[in-house]
Amino acid sequence: MRRTVNAALLALPALLPPLWGASAQAPGRNTLVVMREIDADNYDPPRSTARGAGEVAYMLSDTLVSLDWDQKTVRPGLAESWTVSEDGKLYTFKLRRGVTFCDGKPFTARDVAYTVTRWADPATRSPVRWRAGPVKEVRAVDDHTVEYELNEPYGELLYQLTLFFGSMVDQATVEKLGQNHGVQGFNGTGPYCWASWTPRQELVMTRHPNYNWGPPIYQNPSPQVERIVWRVVPEANTRLAGLQTGQGDVTQYIPYFALPQLRAVPSVKLSKQENYFWDHFMGFKVDKPVVNDPAVRRAVNLAVNRAAIAQAAFFGAATPADAYLNPNVAGFDPEAAKMVPSFNPDEARKVLDEAGWKPGPDGVRVKDGQRASFVVYAISTQIARVQSEAIQADLRRVGVEMRIQLWDATVAWGKLATQEFDAFFMSYPYISATDAFALYFDSRNRPTPNRMNWVDPETDRLLAEAKTALDPAVRERAIAGAQRRVSEANVWLPLAREQLWVASGPRVEGVRAHGIYGIGLYKGLDIRLTR
Amino acid sequence: MARHALHRLLLAVPVLFGVLLLGFLLMQVVPTDPATVRAGPTATPEVIAAIRSDLGLDRPLWEQFGRYLWRLGQGDLGVSIINNVAVTQELGATVGPTLELMLASLFWSIPLGILLGTLAAYWRGSIFDRAVMAVAVACATVPVFFLALLLIWFVGFKWQLLPFTGRGGPLWTLDGLKAVALPAIALGGTFIGPVARMTRTAVLDVLGADHVRTARAKGLGERAVVLRHALRNALIPVVTLIGLQIGFLLGGAVVTETVFSWPGVGRLAVGAILSSDFPMAQGTILVLSLGFILVNLSVDMIYAALDPRMRAA
Repeated sequence: MRRTVNAALLALPALLPPLWGASAQAPGRNTLVVMREIDADNYDPPRSTARGAGEVAYMLSDTLVSLDWDQKTVRPGLAESWTVSEDGKLYTFKLRRGVTFCDGKPFTARDVAYTVTRWADPATRSPVRWRAGPVKEVRAVDDHTVEYELNEPYGELLYQLTLFFGSMVDQATVEKLGQNHGVQGFNGTGPYCWASWTPRQELVMTRHPNYNWGPPIYQNPSPQVERIVWRVVPEANTRLAGLQTGQGDVTQYIPYFALPQLRAVPSVKLSKQENYFWDHFMGFKVDKPVVNDPAVRRAVNLAVNRAAIAQAAFFGAATPADAYLNPNVAGFDPEAAKMVPSFNPDEARKVLDEAGWKPGPDGVRVKDGQRASFVVYAISTQIARVQSEAIQADLRRVGVEMRIQLWDATVAWGKLATQEFDAFFMSYPYISATDAFALYFDSRNRPTPNRMNWVDPETDRLLAEAKTALDPAVRERAIAGAQRRVSEANVWLPLAREQLWVASGPRVEGVRAHGIYGIGLYKGLDIRLTR
Repeated sequence: MARHALHRLLLAVPVLFGVLLLGFLLMQVVPTDPATVRAGPTATPEVIAAIRSDLGLDRPLWEQFGRYLWRLGQGDLGVSIINNVAVTQELGATVGPTLELMLASLFWSIPLGILLGTLAAYWRGSIFDRAVMAVAVACATVPVFFLALLLIWFVGFKWQLLPFTGRGGPLWTLDGLKAVALPAIALGGTFIGPVARMTRTAVLDVLGADHVRTARAKGLGERAVVLRHALRNALIPVVTLIGLQIGFLLGGAVVTETVFSWPGVGRLAVGAILSSDFPMAQGTILVLSLGFILVNLSVDMIYAALDPRMRAA
């Protein structure tokens, strides 16, 4: 018996050497493995608002115009040039010649007309249909000329057309696949072609052999990598270890706590986008008790230490938000930024005192029998947890009680569409000041995304003017005016501006963080593998 | 034996119906709206209502469940409301990897657990016995995610011996074996403890029994006594435990698959629940429940084979 057992014990490790001796699994030569946290719901551009969908859509297809690294300058895309009529209602795009879809079919103006018409069609159920603008008709004048006619001027159109929702689609493929377009296949004009998708696992794309019409912001007009695998690696630690061991090549899904460590790893390169427009804020429902008092909202803005929150919740990898918008975004108004109160707890107490909010027996202020207490809703994330607790402590110090209710992501969006709460935490990407403000502060957008119930005819008028005025200077003045009205009323508590970092492994070169709609790699045309 | 099997199979039918009903109702009582999730944070109520109508979520509950059962009877589990992929297609792609992971985990952990338990019983009170029991307690108490992260850190990251991000291919290929190794060690690691402890206790009980004493008195060697007379009888409670533990192993697979990006049913279930993908979540619940029922059925059969008294029960 003892001999048998000994033999078995000896035999066990003997089975293992082939595994021990083998090197870890590595991606194939000229195959780039991009690791990300979650998959998208589908890859049909107008039907998904997921960042994951955009990451892939930008590589599978092209937009009419592209966006420079500064996130302000619109550059040629599939359209080489464009003109705008005097009344601002007709955009005429001249298309590049020699562009083909992945199946070899020539790309023409009819494809643009089909793509935009489908995007704007209510039957498509696009959650971002409004981004296409007030479309009257999009028509092909000839194979290389498109007329994009609007019912009214829309100064944001070019910015909106840089977003992946307007990526070109092939009518025949859409009609063949129906609801499965972007699920079972996709035929685009992008630098890479759809190879396969295993939902929640990986999407594989291969180099588009004819592609040489990349946006001018890249050094290379053609892709440098043969194959890209977008692999879902949900666990943050696994992603980080995978990057350092070469099991994955690139990721933008870096937990904030890991950035200092990654900076110290010589084999990992980090690219940061300074012009990254993804902000965190707390919004107030301005028609609910307590937070309907402008003094309370101002006091909250004064009482919260944003710098400490950026440190605690983002490990210093976020910028404290001292304004509603990033100063680098198109349409940013510095005067409005000055109206956002800076951290000053004493001033917060003074504002509350003057407004009649007197300290109650439990330390929470009271006015006309109403306690200075409100409920905040947020999606349950680590950032929201730390952020809300820090704010709760800051507010308590000035006599305001904030009750926190965090919701699991599965129920949060439904809850955030209700009127049950007084304030909420959220983060969002934007492309211009008008893009951000027209979405969140237009009274017609209640109850979502205008969850603040902000109804101000003057804001509405300014937003309409910012979108429709023909003169860019008038548009700029209008959006500045909207920012001032909202900032003055303290409708939000701006909290932090995210930073975009993209990490790449030792065999990858040419990675540069872009950041459009939160997307790190954009077209990735300069990315190459050294081995 | 066949009658016994049929009886157990028939008993599984109401259990399965209960699982279906419970799975369906659980999805309904969760205060979430898949249409809102699908529409995204900036969608207007009109778009959300239109999507809800498209998905059939505005129909009465009984009608939704009736339609679900009707389709299920035809082998149709529906399509994902998130990505429009057939549930059967996604399940088909993920059941295999989960089975691979389970088999690989059981392949090493059951024999090792039984071996260690038997040796610990045989050398009762020795340092070996104490060491095995200490390891068994550690294995039973360490959460699977912690063990998984330790393995990733040391074996995968520091020593770079084995991959840890996804499946490398079928189990019979070298890449497949390498890829399954760490997840299987992590998952199986939690299994060894209970098996070793139960085996030790059961073998100790049997070693003191009359028939073992008789076997020794007849002059049989220790190996024959332990293997033929003690271990076989001791296996009955061990098999029962293994059956129960496989159920927990399915739960552990959900975590293991997430940590190692393993493309199995567990990860599919987590993704489906997090994205409020009702049909997909119901499909995964059905498959996991079926797995649990089948394992229990198999345990009943093995139990009956090991102990003929059970067939009459």
